[in-house]
Amino acid sequence: MHPILKAALTGGLALAAAASLSGCGGTGVTRPRLESALAATFANLYVQQAGILGYSGVSVAQIAASAACDKGGPRVADAGPGADWICLVTFTDHKQGTHQGKFEVQAKSNACFVAGGPSKLVGLTTITDTHGNDVPNPVFEFDGCFDPRA
Amino acid sequence: MTATTSARIREVRRPGAANRRPGTPTALRWELRKLAAQARARYTLLGSLLAPVLLVLVLDGQQRPPKDNIYGRHIHDSGYAMPLLVLGFAAQWVFPLLTALVAGDIFASEDQHGTWKTVLTRSVSRTQIFWAKTVASVLFALSVLLLLAASTITASSLIVGRQSLVGLTGQLLPSHAALPLVLASWATAIAPLIGFTAVAVLLSVVSRNPAVGVVGPVVIGLVMQLAGSLGGLDAVRHLLLTTPFESWHGLLTEDRFSGPLIDGLLVSAGWTVVCLAVAYAVLRRRDITGG
Repeated sequence: MHPILKAALTGGLALAAAASLSGCGGTGVTRPRLESALAATFANLYVQQAGILGYSGVSVAQIAASAACDKGGPRVADAGPGADWICLVTFTDHKQGTHQGKFEVQAKSNACFVAGGPSKLVGLTTITDTHGNDVPNPVFEFDGCFDPRA
Repeated sequence: MTATTSARIREVRRPGAANRRPGTPTALRWELRKLAAQARARYTLLGSLLAPVLLVLVLDGQQRPPKDNIYGRHIHDSGYAMPLLVLGFAAQWVFPLLTALVAGDIFASEDQHGTWKTVLTRSVSRTQIFWAKTVASVLFALSVLLLLAASTITASSLIVGRQSLVGLTGQLLPSHAALPLVLASWATAIAPLIGFTAVAVLLSVVSRNPAVGVVGPVVIGLVMQLAGSLGGLDAVRHLLLTTPFESWHGLLTEDRFSGPLIDGLLVSAGWTVVCLAVAYAVLRRRDITGG
């Protein structure tokens, strides 16, 4: 047998064997994982934004952020990577007011995501810190990752 | 040759270690010496040292950070973000290319120059040559990775600074916690890099063509990237050699996770063993008559 053929065959067989062994299938990007990761990431970054803006007494626990996600409308299963995830994020601000906003989330197959919130809720790309400098707004658009099998 | 001369030769050779057949370490030393003399290998190492500095300078001067890649949006916020951006970028095709520059050529160049017979008429076996060349390729790949990491992290912390880093759950990692995580993240590239070295060795042995050996792993890497980015191919995604390059994400989240890291090690080991085994079998069974 030609060596190239043999090599390809062996490699292919090994891969196929491994694939059938691992054959768990299913995607690592699921609704509960994305919701908890998005809420946790938003909360952490919102605390940083509050620090930049000079609001005191803002903590992750006090914000109590939660997220409810949906992928591509009611007819699409809420799992898998895609740019069509919409997440409704609910949180409490430093004045104890409760806010809700729709975040557009792009989930990737490697269990990372990019989320962007509405400007009227999270502010513009840059915000002004307590010293009057324009700095990037940490919650305007942000990256996050989660455990694809937690 | 008369009996007296051969007896004399035997006599001359007998004392000391010179009498024994040279082992794999001797063959490895020769391979490393050949590599050190190779302009391509030298320039690759030099490039791995200098290119990151240039890259960090250019990126630092950008008004609009490369937000499409992970950590791209943070390059001005912390000097630890840039090494992670570069790590993510290098995994796309730079790592496969850098290791293939040597590993994809090291066997095939003997075909190209017709030197297999010369190499094998020395008193080393094919097995020894195989391991010497493979180990030399792996050592080269690790040197490149070490240089890239050291250069990128040093340049970035000097040029951008050592501010705290935003983790992948949005948490703030202070400078003293961020550095070990960045170093560990770069270290996770070792296993898949060795895997790609094995792929390059296999292509080098099988194709007998340096061009295939060098370009092949890059193309395979890009195809794997593409397959891995598709949804619905998750079972395949786990088995790709490019997936372990992203396993460092688990180190930077608030609740760290190591599942992808362990899988990555296993997958890389699997690819390495299969590729090297096939390459070894092909090289052993080859009929080397030309050259």
